Amino acid sequence: MEIKKNKYYKLWLKDAWPYLTGAVLLSLFQIVTLAVTGNPWGVSGILANWGAWLWEAVGGSVDKWYYFASEGAQKTLNGGFLNHGGSLRNLGIIVGALTATLLASGFKIKKIKSWRQIAAAVLGGLLMGYGARIGFGCNIGALFSGIASLSLSGWVYAVFLFLGAIVGSKLLVKYFM
Amino acid sequence: MKEVELDCLGEACPVPLVKAEKKLKELEIGDVLIVQIDHSCAMKNVPEWARKEGHNVEIEEVDDGEWEVIIEKVK
Repeated sequence: MEIKKNKYYKLWLKDAWPYLTGAVLLSLFQIVTLAVTGNPWGVSGILANWGAWLWEAVGGSVDKWYYFASEGAQKTLNGGFLNHGGSLRNLGIIVGALTATLLASGFKIKKIKSWRQIAAAVLGGLLMGYGARIGFGCNIGALFSGIASLSLSGWVYAVFLFLGAIVGSKLLVKYFM
Repeated sequence: MKEVELDCLGEACPVPLVKAEKKLKELEIGDVLIVQIDHSCAMKNVPEWARKEGHNVEIEEVDDGEWEVIIEKVK
């Protein structure tokens, strides 16, 4: 029997899982993350380290940067990528997403349609990255982990995330479509 | 009854959904809208929206990571 016609292949690998399944699994794994590492799950803070390593790789230095001034931050940076659990986890997210896409035979290199798309992506990325660092967290570290640890800040984040998404969608439709 | 193709290849969420909503509004009852998509997240929200609106929806996998959502406007 061809694997593409197999019921379980379709159910588990080919078709998207229901939102509920995803939500339950994300909750379970973030509990495991908190229990094992002692830190709540975060994503974008780690990307700041990646940026610092990239900057150092081209000869720059972040020793004097306020953001990386603490002893802990310096220790993480000096320890390198492979000794940083969060970096490996982020790498796992990328590899896992790629694997899921390949198993569903949904991998495709997409065309870039217009300069507007590039502008929107760059602008959106910069705003999200800047906002995530200045706000001490992204939708994972500040929103998801915040709410999961019964922090009020997570809910405040949620309200403004929603407002921002409304404004962002309007701008997207008006200027980038 | 006409058939209209909507090229959303290379577009990420929520652009395909917004474009499909706009285009379908312009069509007459009985017309068919074919939305070409290569973004898996849009593969979830475009058919979901169209079915919720009560239209007839069919999905065709054209290639790896490329789909056509065929929407027949019924009302």
